Amino acid sequence: MQCRDRLRALAFPESSGRAQGSAGPCGVMAVLVLVRSPLPRLRALLQHCWGRLERGLRPSVFGDQSPPWGPALAMQGPALVPQGIKDAEAPGPLESVVWMAAPKHRRTIEVNRCRRRNPSKLIEIKRNIDVCPECGNLKQKHVLCGYCYAKVKEETQLIRMEIHKKEGGPLNAPTVETVVLYEGEKPTEKDEGKRIIERARKRPSWFVQN
Amino acid sequence: NWARTKNLWLASGSLFPLSCIHTSTSLQKIGKIGKWEKKNRIVYPPQLPGEPRRPAEIYHCRREIKYSNDKMWYLAKLIKGMSIDQALAQLEFSDKKGAKVIREVLLEAQEMAVRNHNVEFKSNLHIAESQTGRGRYVKRLRCHGKGMFGMMKINRCHYFVKLVEGPPPPPEPPKTGFDQAKEYVQQLRNRTLVHTL
Repeated sequence: MQCRDRLRALAFPESSGRAQGSAGPCGVMAVLVLVRSPLPRLRALLQHCWGRLERGLRPSVFGDQSPPWGPALAMQGPALVPQGIKDAEAPGPLESVVWMAAPKHRRTIEVNRCRRRNPSKLIEIKRNIDVCPECGNLKQKHVLCGYCYAKVKEETQLIRMEIHKKEGGPLNAPTVETVVLYEGEKPTEKDEGKRIIERARKRPSWFVQN
Repeated sequence: NWARTKNLWLASGSLFPLSCIHTSTSLQKIGKIGKWEKKNRIVYPPQLPGEPRRPAEIYHCRREIKYSNDKMWYLAKLIKGMSIDQALAQLEFSDKKGAKVIREVLLEAQEMAVRNHNVEFKSNLHIAESQTGRGRYVKRLRCHGKGMFGMMKINRCHYFVKLVEGPPPPPEPPKTGFDQAKEYVQQLRNRTLVHTL
């Protein structure tokens, strides 16, 4: 009868009587335990056990003293000795990253087309194309004619080959100016001290002689 | 078949040319001829004397160009409706990789037009249709750092062009608000009662 009373008191907390327990840090379960049994010995025992429980919930440092664990009344129920229930899990190392933006819905092909075919993304037609007066090919207004440039580049390459033949090796460039003479041309008074490079062809029309 | 004819040649010194018939198929690559290529083969019946002259149409394409379909589309959209000279000029000074390919295709088509399709002036052509298609994609491994890898697609595309003889058609005038309003009023006027007497 007495044990039933004790168990009832422990299992079903009632508002009558003194409140001896307190809701601990994990106060989901009601840990209000009211002593109903009139036996003073049992009450003292229960108080002692409850004190032990409270001390266990707030762990104190035992320096010199030995921990006051001793034989205690075995109580059933995880509600009485709540262990390991935390309020909220502390964010682990992986969860400390800021939430990243991610697309929520699939972009439909209509929306994609509107974006891809927007006039700002289309190629603009160029209005700065003219005709080169020298060769008649097309050229951009602010750029040299590609055909004429290629022509000049080719001739320059041949002149450089002649220079290479005359010099014979690297780092043999003389300290005087160079003059390029084509077939049937003679060096003038102005070309006194200059190095002369001969090219075995007729002078091209675009290479003006001084 | 080719091996058998070779043995015949080796066996006898001189053979009559008709006796060893070349039984193999044509030397061209056996591939499916696409619909666009077949469009050049249609032959219309001769036109009646009073009919207006049908302008020449030349279809040309290039298959499996190593370029992306989406990127090629922008170039195809650029030259749609231009005269061939203007299109060639725009493509010459475009920095895109596909511009060079399309320029070659247009020059080939121009050459074909003059040679085979009885076009008198090579400048008297305009681009009626210019489209791109998706070629065969291939999936490949793309290695990243730390031993990670991803799958990448190698994109290829086709390019189709239809040249028509004659000057390019004038561009459509942009729709004004007045036209839109007129259309709307006309739609309202067309409303009627359905399934009634």
